Amino acid sequence: MTNNIKVLIIDDEVDFCYFVQKNLMQNGPFEVIIATNGKDGIELAKKEKPGIILLDLFMPDMPGEDVAAALKENTATTDIPILYVTALATNDDIADSKENKIGNNYILPKPVRTKKLIEIIMKILGET
Amino acid sequence: MATKIPRKKTIFLVRLMVIITSAYFILFSPSTNKELEIYGYIFIASYLLTNLIVAYIPEKFFYDDKIFFGFILCDSILLPAGIYFSGYIGSDLYLMFFFIISLTTMSSRFGYLMINTLFFSVIYGWLLYQKGFLAGPMAVGYLIQIPFIIVIALFYGYLITTRLRDKDKRIHEVRERYEQIVQATDVLMSIVDHDGKVLFANQKLLKFYGYPDEKSLSGLTISQIYNEDETEAEKSLSYVRSAYQNNDTVHYESYDKNHGIWFTHTLSPIRDESSRDIFAVCIISKDITDRIAKEKNLSDTIELLRRTRDQLIQKDKMAALGRMASGIAHEIRNPLGIIYMGVDYLENHLPDDDPQIRETIEKIFNAVNRADNIIKNVLSFSRQSEYKITQLPLCPLLDNVLTLAEQTIQKSGVSVRREYDDKLLEVAGDYNVLEQVFLNLVNNAVDAMKDSKEKILAVRAYKLLAAEVGYKTGYRQTDFFRMGDEMIVVEISDTGKGIPQDVLPKIFEPFFTTKPVNEGTGLGLSIAHMIIDRLSGTIDVESRENQGTTFFIKLQPICKLTDTRGGT
Repeated sequence: MTNNIKVLIIDDEVDFCYFVQKNLMQNGPFEVIIATNGKDGIELAKKEKPGIILLDLFMPDMPGEDVAAALKENTATTDIPILYVTALATNDDIADSKENKIGNNYILPKPVRTKKLIEIIMKILGET
Repeated sequence: MATKIPRKKTIFLVRLMVIITSAYFILFSPSTNKELEIYGYIFIASYLLTNLIVAYIPEKFFYDDKIFFGFILCDSILLPAGIYFSGYIGSDLYLMFFFIISLTTMSSRFGYLMINTLFFSVIYGWLLYQKGFLAGPMAVGYLIQIPFIIVIALFYGYLITTRLRDKDKRIHEVRERYEQIVQATDVLMSIVDHDGKVLFANQKLLKFYGYPDEKSLSGLTISQIYNEDETEAEKSLSYVRSAYQNNDTVHYESYDKNHGIWFTHTLSPIRDESSRDIFAVCIISKDITDRIAKEKNLSDTIELLRRTRDQLIQKDKMAALGRMASGIAHEIRNPLGIIYMGVDYLENHLPDDDPQIRETIEKIFNAVNRADNIIKNVLSFSRQSEYKITQLPLCPLLDNVLTLAEQTIQKSGVSVRREYDDKLLEVAGDYNVLEQVFLNLVNNAVDAMKDSKEKILAVRAYKLLAAEVGYKTGYRQTDFFRMGDEMIVVEISDTGKGIPQDVLPKIFEPFFTTKPVNEGTGLGLSIAHMIIDRLSGTIDVESRENQGTTFFIKLQPICKLTDTRGGT
């Protein structure tokens, strides 16, 4: 159990979170925890110290960027890599970027298949 | 002659009075010579008849002095004949005759008046002699009548000439004043006849075209003086004729190539005072080069404002579209994300070996993919919020597009023909978006030739002056190009299957596609159209089934405005 990679998914789309949780846990050494809004996400991140955070950009309570900023500020969570998984792409770079990166953060546009998601997560974790 | 008297009327009057007095004498004559009286009536009748003839002689003949005074002289001779027939000779009423003759002095020639008077005196003297009055006891009394006539004629003539001289002087003064006005004015002024021959030209005109004096213009037409070529001369002569025919002022503008000056010409007919016939046309030519320049300036400014306004509207539209596209993207891609993940989940839980299930899952993925592609296209277009419009070398851009498409081109066995008129052609545009448009068209062209025997992709680039506008399927050409504007044209043509005529008008519509499902979103050409539109250019298409299709992209050669449309 200790070898499992802890993944925190912060997204207001509950169904999406549910399927990601199921699919990741079925297809790899993942343990997935879910937060359905920004605030809970930050709390959970502090408490659980996940290996990677999948973050939505557009959420009702606070935007993904703010969540990311809050996580970076906190010493406990500052080193956790963040992967934006978002339907809202606001920059040309996102869709076209082969690096799947904006600045220091990784990005993956929705819709995404499990295989691709795992591939990217592994790539990120391999880099860090 | 400065003054003009209606001469025909004068002649009529003279002859009428001759008839009235002759008839009076004949009726109230104390003579008993009936034979003479009959001659008198015949005389009056024939005289009336000749008056009818006079009525039919056109006015202008009477302005020939010889004809006019011939008539007067004739009447002066015939009058004593009337007196003779009346048998009333010797009466003091002879003075009546004289006053009738004096009327003719209204024609204002003193010399003619005296000649006439002498004629009359001689004939009258001869009549007196013939009738024996000069031999009778009253001889001196009758004889003295002749010098009396001459003295009265002299006096009368003197009065009239003095009056006329005063009148002439006044006319001269008025004339001088008009002359001063004409010469002091800043416009070129001339008077021409029906054939455009110059009758008068003011100093300004002489100086402007380098003629020393008015005499040096004799025989020249206004077109010759204005140095006009054949077509221009034909045009200006037609305006002169039109002023004549329509009896109305005519305006037109022309350009003097030699001086680089724009003129506005005003042609006004000049009428004869008495006959009201037009006998000349006054041409006033005014330099309006400054005004034309200002007008051009103004229309350029309006054009610029119009463009700016259009761009602002476009910017708003794009911003709204961007917001909407982002909203739609978010709302649709989230469910799509759930579908993907959900299907992945199902795939893990359903038996692997059932081909029907695998096929169904594959179909769901394809459908989601299609929806996502459309969203991606709309997003990527609406995100092109800001164009960096610069002067671009066109040919390297086209070469680059062909390099990008090289793989597809080679794989399809298409041969490429590059026909660049000038390797240094430049267009105003954004490199990336133009590349996107051309690449799209090249890919379409290659696609269209899939089943063709001959596979030739031709890319042409050349300069063209806008002449005939908006004649193909594209539109808005008149908004961006005016007659005579320079355009850079890029033609991308294939020898493919062509586009059916009924489909042609729809190809620029969003989501219109003839490609099989999964192969095209139907957004490529509509996005190309919107991009070219935003670059103030046009895109047209010409196509023949089974022969090929040509796209014409007309672009601005020079940056007129930088596109600063804000983003979403």
